[in-house]
Amino acid sequence: MNAILNAENLVRVYRARRGPFAKVHPIRAVDGVSLNVAAGETLGIVGESGCGKSTLGRMLLGLDPAHEGRVLFDGTPLPPLGTAAWRRSRAEIQMVWQDPLAAMDRRLCVAEQIREPLDIHVIGTARERQDRIEELMGAVGLRKDQASAFPHELSGGQRQRVVIARALATAPKLLICDEPVSALDVSIQAQIINLLRDLQLGMGLGMVFISHDLNVVRNLVDRVAVMYMGRIVEEGPTEAVFFEPEHPYTKALISSIPAPGRLLDPDLIITGDPPDPANRPKGCAFHPRCSAATEQCRHDAPQLRPTAQKRTAACHLVGTSTQSATT
Amino acid sequence: MIRFVATRLARSLMTILAVMTFAFVVLRLSGDPAKVMLGPDTPREAVDAFRQQWGLGQPIWAQYFHYLGAIFSGDFGMSMRDKSPALQLVLERLPATLIVTVPALILQVTIGVSAGVFAALHRGSIVDRGVIVLSILGFTIPSFVMGLLLVLVFAVTLHWLPSGGSGTWAHAILPVITISVGWIGSLARFSRSATIEVMGQPYIRTAMAKGVHWSDVVWRHALPNAATPIVTLVGFMVGSLVAGAVVTETIFSWPGMGRLLISSVANRDLAVVQCIMLLVAAMMVCTNLIVDLLYGWLDPRLNARHEN
Amino acid sequence: MSIVSPGKRKNVLPLSVGLSLVWLALMLFLAFFADLLKPYDITTMDLASRLAPPLSSGHWLGTDELGRDVLSRLLQSIRVSLFIAFGATLISAAFGTTVGFLAARFGGWVEQLVVLMADFQAALPFLIMSLAVLAFFGTSMWLLVVLMGFYGWERYARIARGLALSANAQGYAAATVQLGATPSRVYLRHILPNVASTLIVSMTLSFPDIVLMESGLSFLGLGVQLPETSLGNMVGFGRDYLTTAPWIVLSPAVIIMLTTLAISLAGDWLRDTLDPTLN
Repeated sequence: MNAILNAENLVRVYRARRGPFAKVHPIRAVDGVSLNVAAGETLGIVGESGCGKSTLGRMLLGLDPAHEGRVLFDGTPLPPLGTAAWRRSRAEIQMVWQDPLAAMDRRLCVAEQIREPLDIHVIGTARERQDRIEELMGAVGLRKDQASAFPHELSGGQRQRVVIARALATAPKLLICDEPVSALDVSIQAQIINLLRDLQLGMGLGMVFISHDLNVVRNLVDRVAVMYMGRIVEEGPTEAVFFEPEHPYTKALISSIPAPGRLLDPDLIITGDPPDPANRPKGCAFHPRCSAATEQCRHDAPQLRPTAQKRTAACHLVGTSTQSATT
Repeated sequence: MIRFVATRLARSLMTILAVMTFAFVVLRLSGDPAKVMLGPDTPREAVDAFRQQWGLGQPIWAQYFHYLGAIFSGDFGMSMRDKSPALQLVLERLPATLIVTVPALILQVTIGVSAGVFAALHRGSIVDRGVIVLSILGFTIPSFVMGLLLVLVFAVTLHWLPSGGSGTWAHAILPVITISVGWIGSLARFSRSATIEVMGQPYIRTAMAKGVHWSDVVWRHALPNAATPIVTLVGFMVGSLVAGAVVTETIFSWPGMGRLLISSVANRDLAVVQCIMLLVAAMMVCTNLIVDLLYGWLDPRLNARHEN
Repeated sequence: MSIVSPGKRKNVLPLSVGLSLVWLALMLFLAFFADLLKPYDITTMDLASRLAPPLSSGHWLGTDELGRDVLSRLLQSIRVSLFIAFGATLISAAFGTTVGFLAARFGGWVEQLVVLMADFQAALPFLIMSLAVLAFFGTSMWLLVVLMGFYGWERYARIARGLALSANAQGYAAATVQLGATPSRVYLRHILPNVASTLIVSMTLSFPDIVLMESGLSFLGLGVQLPETSLGNMVGFGRDYLTTAPWIVLSPAVIIMLTTLAISLAGDWLRDTLDPTLN
């Protein structure tokens, strides 16, 4: 399989302290995650706040080193952070950030922002870089006269386009997007999502799309992985997961998406608060909030197992054959 | 809330301690404290007695604690010139300084803030423009120049007011004006921009949309919120009042603490200098503490943050 | 610093700022060439024409009570006062920025120490502290410059620390690292220019304050000492002759006022041009 990205059993642990006198709790922000992304494919990672998806995104980039496990890019392990090899690899792996204003040096105008990766990796002559900037600006839908504008003079959607153009300047093979549209208006979100999809098709990019918003994810990704408390609880092709979710958490998430004309199913509404990462429940991490929890769920943590064609789920109640519950 | 008060209190005490340590170190560095505090022509026995009393033969850390003890018991040494305890000398002059600084403070705050708020609520009017121009003048003209100008105009040319000295309340008028003018300008400008910013906030528009009466909007919604940044200025103001007093008392030959400080510095009467410095620091620390507590009380967001 | 792309809007220079810059250039010129420009030495006494009014023969700005030429003393004063103010501003900025960066880098007790120092500074009005130091150590020009150099360092420290901290995890520094930049590129091309523009603006804010502070001290007789002369010094000594010979006081006073006004106006404009995000 020509995977552009392989993540194997990634673990990252934070040591957190409640107060100056409390004990130190290790928090497993990412707890044994494995995934693959093929060239030209988009993988979505969804979950609530605090499930570890942003940390996972940073680990895939190599910004947060893995305490256990490893990340392979194009077949080779990622170089360690801070080395020249790591810096060179940035031409192939790029990131689109949640807050575009914070991700840009406010002193540089749009053209300078997009130009920076070309300067860093010494790509092309000055003339060629200028041409590339124009080409990228056109590709993301910015007008030529906006080249001399500053980030604070642009709208949220325009800023994000600049960030995307900058990320694509070196023609990377993999793009990691961490909540890229969460800060934007709903109508602009659709535009940016369409833009990302068009760019991906045109450039054959691999993409990882991290979001808490299922609607957004549904329209863009080929496969989706659902995360809960640092682990992937379900993974599969988008339409399959959305149409027939297997894990109780996924079912509840999907059924909570408001749809006109349909009442929410009270049985599937998740009860309780999002869990405290420092206080992980024994057994299945989801069992305190799961309406179908059994005795086994309270003691044994379920492993991620294949349940159907190209699908996996981590739940005792989901069998490998026909026992998958349908809504 | 208790935590907030406690931490602020602790910080204030640390600061006062730091100032006292600073005084101690500087005193030691500038030469033999005995000679420095007592003057060159003090008889030998008096010098020895002083050394004994202040424990100057002992190791430095013992001297330090001795020094702290002396300060806390009110012993700041003897004034070289007057041969009386420094503290007593300073306290004698304190009322005169208060007579000019307290009215100045009241004047500054009332005129400055109301002018600024008025200007903000009537933007573009003559008052507004006037306030802006006057405030620029206020912080560009140094207080000593202002004082001299006032003397030139009111005392020398118009003969309305005396040019110096003390005795009648008329003598106090020019000093009070000199001290307060600069800050009236700054406060007006600051209040103006604080009020403008508050009036532009969404919750003001909401209040008006709900039909709240204009004066209620101003008094119950806008001003309390504008008050917070203005209150933080109070700490700076008090400090500069003291500095202003020093210059003003010199210009007008007003017999207050400020003039005492100048003459003591000129004569190297270090006991008095040290005494004034420590008293001023203590007063400033208290003022800053009160301002901080007031600020925390006024702005409930800060309260919530400190309660975590 | 900021790379200007073709087609960028030029900032229109307001008249007031233009005049301010002209005035400041004039002051700098006078300060530099004071030695060449002054008609007399500052201590030369023309006892025959004491307290001569301006435009008397040989004395454009008149003379003082000892027959010394006011113009010469004024030029020298400009030089001395500006020299002290520049020196002090640079010391203050360098010290404050370094301390701020250290606090941001190390945190912990380093930061607590800096906070304590700032609290200490806030506890004593600067004038009072300066007077105390001058009382204990005597007045010398170098001591004065160093002393003034402690004015306002907290402002630079706070700015430097804030900007260094905010250019981290979620900020453009991390984004630039993710683009593949070396650490030196991040510091030299991004963090430092961002800090520099704010610092320079801060310097223009504290420069007039230092001029006023030194003038005040000299006026009180405790700053610049005779035979050297400074703007505040001249006002102080001319005080006794306010009624009989006001030009002795007025000429340095006018210089002080116009110069501080010019720096304030120019500083505001500079902030607007250097930092496009604040308006």
